[in-house]
Amino acid sequence: MEKMLAYILNLATLMCINAVLAITLNFIMGYAGIFSIAHAIFFGVGAYTAAYFALHASASLFLAIPVSMVAAGLLSLILALPALRVRGEYFVAASLGLQVLGVTIFSEWKSFTGGLGGVIGIPPADLFGHAITDPVQFLLLAAGCLVLVILVTNTLLRSSFGRNLKAIRDSESAAHAFGKNVAVIKTLSVMISSALAAIAGALYAFYLGFINVESFTLDTSVLLMAMVIIGGTGTLLGPIVGTVLLMLLPSLFSYMWFLPQTEIGAIQQIAYGAAMVLLMIFRPGGLVSARKNQGEP
Amino acid sequence: MIFAKKTLSISLLAFAAWGACAQAADLKIGALFPMSGPNATYGDIFGTGANLAAEHINADKILKEKLTIQYEDSQALPQQGVIGMNKLVNVTKVPYVLSAFTGVSKAISTTAARTKTVAINGGGVGPDLADLGPYFWNIIPLANFEVKAIIPYLIKERKLKRFVLVYVDDPLGASIRKEMTDTLPKAGGELVEALSVPASSQQFSGIAARVRAAKPDAIYIASYGSQEAQIVKQFRDNGLKQQLVSYSAFSIPEINKLPEAAGALYTTQNVDWNSTDPVTKRFVDDYKKKYNKMPTAYVANYYNAVRLFGLLAQQLEKQGKPVTGENLLAQRIETKTFDLVGGKATFASNGTVISAMQVNEVDGKGGKVVSVVSQ
Repeated sequence: MEKMLAYILNLATLMCINAVLAITLNFIMGYAGIFSIAHAIFFGVGAYTAAYFALHASASLFLAIPVSMVAAGLLSLILALPALRVRGEYFVAASLGLQVLGVTIFSEWKSFTGGLGGVIGIPPADLFGHAITDPVQFLLLAAGCLVLVILVTNTLLRSSFGRNLKAIRDSESAAHAFGKNVAVIKTLSVMISSALAAIAGALYAFYLGFINVESFTLDTSVLLMAMVIIGGTGTLLGPIVGTVLLMLLPSLFSYMWFLPQTEIGAIQQIAYGAAMVLLMIFRPGGLVSARKNQGEP
Repeated sequence: MIFAKKTLSISLLAFAAWGACAQAADLKIGALFPMSGPNATYGDIFGTGANLAAEHINADKILKEKLTIQYEDSQALPQQGVIGMNKLVNVTKVPYVLSAFTGVSKAISTTAARTKTVAINGGGVGPDLADLGPYFWNIIPLANFEVKAIIPYLIKERKLKRFVLVYVDDPLGASIRKEMTDTLPKAGGELVEALSVPASSQQFSGIAARVRAAKPDAIYIASYGSQEAQIVKQFRDNGLKQQLVSYSAFSIPEINKLPEAAGALYTTQNVDWNSTDPVTKRFVDDYKKKYNKMPTAYVANYYNAVRLFGLLAQQLEKQGKPVTGENLLAQRIETKTFDLVGGKATFASNGTVISAMQVNEVDGKGGKVVSVVSQ
């Protein structure tokens, strides 16, 4: 059992990082109805900024994380303002454009991102002068950040801002008619979501010690969206359940010794596809359905 | 219903534990290949070579235990690679992992170094893969060796002096550009133009015009996959008749069958598939019997990666030493030269294999060797 520990710690740490991303995506997707498929870009901006900052200035978490949050927040502001003028499926198309553009910049801006070769040798995260290299300590750090993100999003959702988001999700025109500044609320929500996603990016860069564009592609955005949808949009627990499930399943498959080892990938894809179809037929709201929570703040 | 579910879960876990125990006597190595996603084809190709080597090692009883390969799906992505590597190192406790793809290789190199586990690459050729620490080895000559091998041949034998380089805008292309800039003047040649193309680009008429304007004797193409075939085709369509030159990425059926590529020259490590050397002959014969086609350099590399482990572990077992990453590294440094597919191979101090190279000419039938260059 002892030998499993390091593996479980690794998986749990990556789950915490991905859960932060899923929660922040759910913040705009589940509560404001903004379907973004560019979330991996803000994850990437956070990761690259933290990596660059750690390599050239300081690896202190109290500096690297806020800097990456500001970078991702500002970038999202620049991009959200024009893109949020469109709604529904048009925003999906606009965010797809942003995703493609972002990946191209990550690949081509070599002085900052290292191009396809990536950034190597990122120093370990520094907390009060102590370098966090121990896997248990890093898991505690990632779990701490996850709790913090849950608290922040939960507090926001219970405030009048949260009610505004839900109003926009349910009917943008009605919210507008009631005097809500829809554009400002939507822009703010995207900005908050992106800034919080950058925390996951910073943690990811410090944890792996290496990042390249392959971690921030459209596949990642789609996977994050799947985590939110499978878990249940518009719920607090849903994204976490989705993350745990989607990250645990591949690992469980690889433990099933009776499956042919080289075909596990294909079997996993079939299982994913089938599970998604069945889920959408029998439980369209996701595993943690939001229906029973309707009416709560 | 709940009782039934619990019973089922416990039975599954018990079966899993039993399965793990049943295989405990095997000597395991790991393979971190993409087995799902867009790059799954590569995982399959790499696996054929690795599996054949394990079969041969077990048939010859080179090791005291049965050698098995534990596959983990990297999806060719860094994060999945790190998860897979962690499982191989911490749960399966393998001393030796087959790696592929630059992003994955770089991401797992930290874990390999920290846990003193050997990771060995047989697919990527970017020279930066040579700098990932003592526990990261390359069983494939990296791109810089390929450039060094062909330039003197082109200048002395083919009398080509003026070169244009068309390179993909990534670490591989950049490294080939650097190598050409350094090597050409020393060998008596000249790099008259270096033109980069984005990795996703498929239109090269504009580049062809610039190449024509530079009036080179030879055009070196440093790209890979379908883009490479497009460059060749569009350059010929645009009337460029100069000698085309490239590296091992040209050794794919798509290029060999392309009429426009006929006569192009490219380097690979020296593997004479018709060799009478027993290791090479057995590999080629058994591969052809099993898959009904000729092997490629990638298949040979992963065969060699597993064979190398077999040879090193055999020596360790003879000396009564445990087969650990640390001991494998020490043994590799001590042994230096190994009998692998393609002949004898030597490792440089940075863990990268140095083997003889060959210059091939595209002839539509798999390529013919026109020159062999010893390193």
